[in-house]
Amino acid sequence: MYQYSEQDHQLLLERVEQFRGQVQRRLSGQLSEDEFKHQRLRNGLYLQLHAYMLRVAIPYGLLSSDQMRTLAHIARKYDKGYGHFSTRQNIQYNWPKLEDVPDILDDLASVEMHAIQTSGNCIRNTTSDPLAGVSRDELEDPRPYCELIRQWSTFHPEFNFLPRKFKIAVSGAAHDRAAVAVHDIGLRLIKNAEGETGFEVHVGGGLGRTPMIGKVIRTFLPKQDMLTYLEAILRVYNLLGRRDNLYKARIKILVHETGEEKFRELVEEEWQKIKASGLFLRDEDLTWIKGFFKDPEYETLPDRDAEFENLLLSNADFARWVDKNVELHKQSGYRIVYLSLKTAHQPPGDVTADQMDAIADLSDRYSLGQIRTTHRQNLVLSDVRLQDLPALWGELTALDLATPNYNHVTDIISCPGLDYCALATARSIPISQALTNRFDDYDYVNDLGDISINISGCINACGHHHVANIGILGVNKKGIEVYQLTLGGSAREDASIGKIIGPAFEADQIVDAVSDVLAVYLENREDPEETFLATYRRLGEAPFKERLYG
Amino acid sequence: MALQVYTASLLKEGLVAYLSLEDGSPSWTADIRQATAGHGELLDSLKAAAEKSAQDNLVVAPYAIDVLETDAGWMASTKREQIRAEGPTIRLPQDKSRESRRAA
Amino acid sequence: MDNYIKDRKPDHDEWMPFTGLEEGSSLPSGDIYVPLEEWLQARETLLARNGRLGVAVRNTDNLGILKDDLERLDLVVLEFPKMADGRAFSQARLLRERYGFKGEIRATGDILHDQLFYMQRCGINGFEIREDQDISSSLKAFDEMTITYQPACDEEFPIWRREK
Ligand code: HEM
Ligand code: SF4
Repeated sequence: MYQYSEQDHQLLLERVEQFRGQVQRRLSGQLSEDEFKHQRLRNGLYLQLHAYMLRVAIPYGLLSSDQMRTLAHIARKYDKGYGHFSTRQNIQYNWPKLEDVPDILDDLASVEMHAIQTSGNCIRNTTSDPLAGVSRDELEDPRPYCELIRQWSTFHPEFNFLPRKFKIAVSGAAHDRAAVAVHDIGLRLIKNAEGETGFEVHVGGGLGRTPMIGKVIRTFLPKQDMLTYLEAILRVYNLLGRRDNLYKARIKILVHETGEEKFRELVEEEWQKIKASGLFLRDEDLTWIKGFFKDPEYETLPDRDAEFENLLLSNADFARWVDKNVELHKQSGYRIVYLSLKTAHQPPGDVTADQMDAIADLSDRYSLGQIRTTHRQNLVLSDVRLQDLPALWGELTALDLATPNYNHVTDIISCPGLDYCALATARSIPISQALTNRFDDYDYVNDLGDISINISGCINACGHHHVANIGILGVNKKGIEVYQLTLGGSAREDASIGKIIGPAFEADQIVDAVSDVLAVYLENREDPEETFLATYRRLGEAPFKERLYG
Repeated sequence: MALQVYTASLLKEGLVAYLSLEDGSPSWTADIRQATAGHGELLDSLKAAAEKSAQDNLVVAPYAIDVLETDAGWMASTKREQIRAEGPTIRLPQDKSRESRRAA
Repeated sequence: MDNYIKDRKPDHDEWMPFTGLEEGSSLPSGDIYVPLEEWLQARETLLARNGRLGVAVRNTDNLGILKDDLERLDLVVLEFPKMADGRAFSQARLLRERYGFKGEIRATGDILHDQLFYMQRCGINGFEIREDQDISSSLKAFDEMTITYQPACDEEFPIWRREK
């Protein structure tokens, strides 16, 4: 993974000192709340329903074991012993004290971490494929490009006061595990007719109040031009993006209102003028950055293992876990392991300090000391030897991290909702727990197959409900929490926005409603291979509507 | 006319607090039941005291909320404010080590 | 003392804003700057005068129309109506980098400590700091950070292409 240079370290230290000064000036009354708010929001520090909330960046979702231990330490020392992994691959702490935040940032800086640009109208943490570098369907590792984007965007002097927040995702595989279509900019590595790799550039995706799928603004961008092209897009957006209405300020609205064709012309025209500038990526720049993401020294191993196969036959629980949470690796004799953060006992994405420490140790022992976070709020150990799977499974089971449900019905995304969030209109975590309790039966989960349920506690859509196969949006209707159901969304390469199926349900009806939807699917699918989404797309909403509303 | 109490977040901790006014001297408590509720003139003096606390950098962003009277004392009238007063409605994740440390 | 910084030092502002130019009316002497429309309408009259000239633009103006005039100008005044409105950051870079403007680029409006570091990187070298701000503490903003990653007006190359 990327190793900080002296300058990278220096920058973090300067930033922590600057923020420490700001906190001191706030506590002593020299800064008013209005003035301080701008500063804390540039450092991921919000004031939430019960307390401050600190969002820490995990660049493209990649963590070392030492970083994970530091996250555990922070959870224990400054918070209530847990953290929340978000849909943007970051981690949030729900209870830090203002006076402790500079010390937290110091601890983070000691392991090359920070909260820079995790809030505010700037370029946020770049997200990516959690299987980068290890999956079989990958064209090229996206992480070197993410790291270049991280450096380019950090304290970018021109783009720190954009019309609105700006999120970039990069994916390098055939399957899109980074939801590139719903980002302000999504970059997909592809091959052109000449066999060169470059980017397909999606612009103007986003969720929130007006969900939109990004438009392909350029079908092929040579890699060398990545940063000049991003700079051109951002410049057009900074100059022309709407600032008169907060809800129309995202780039998706600019693309929509300008028209795709015209927007493309504007970007291309700007780009022509800067494409030869200092941001052009020379081959040696790419070689340098790729050097940080070289394959580890994999052992030469057979892709079979007797002990593993015996356990597979003799232990149904192990077999279920392997079936659901283990994926093939590009390297023979290795596997990718998903750690499920989705149980009925803990809110989706929440991890306790002890679990974090244990995960760090497991990654050291079994997976080359690295952990990835996923946009579906789970974790990944990316380089586990096949022969180690039985032992790892035992340890994960003891930690309650081995629920066999990856990409299945109980693998629910949920935002914090009204239990934590000051903007929420309804609770989301209790709904996710009620659904998990209802559907927590392996045979049922297995039968339903690949499916996604996502829940947001308000229209801001932090829980990605629009792009779930089954999306749930909590709304406040005359003081009562009610839940709107959307069907047919997808965040993958076939991205689509779900459609609201009808009037909202009260909290005690929503689980039944989802259950009905699942029943309609099971009754109508052509065969067990047909996924929920495929069935919905084939049949349309009618049979679902009929069952739900008669 | 609905009774109201003043609430805010403590600047240093960020935690939720309610204003209590006894013999004209203000203090902030985590317990909504101990808050001073009022309307009319009393509410005006609560407002003044709350804004003064914000100016003195004790609390952040004070505002008034409706409360209902129950046997146990004041209770916020909206779901949001009830959750703010009582904390998350779900069980917080907790390590065994932490539980035992607490018990010890 | 004005709340004015030029080239990282507190300074006295010599410039006079001027507007309301009419045919035949007499122009003030000294250094003046006028709104962009007036410059476009009365270019020749303004140039016939002695004294330096500047133009004030709105952050929605396309500065391409000024590009052939820049040699005659000594000041371009940019506006930041609210702190959050960062359009003029791009305008500043375009003026310096694309159109090669050598005179003063001045930031006016809601100008606070926090933007100064970024503004100077975008080529802005004159600052009308908001009245309630303490100018000596604002001066520190220019050096609060010593590391920059990306090219801007002060650096041609990103950090990975610079001499170590
Ligand atoms: C608790 C404090 C949070 C606040 C105040 C907050 C606020 C917001 C707001 C206002 C938006 C809408 C932005 C827009 O459309 O312009 C948004 C979008 C989003 N947030 Fe959050 N959020 C919070 C927590 C989270 C969490 C915990 C997650 C991850 C689980 C998250 C992930 C996202 C994502 C993925 C989006 C959608 C991006 C898009 O609109 O394209 N946020 N958030
Ligand atoms: S979707 Fe709404 S309730 Fe959920 S975290 Fe985002 S802002 Fe809060």
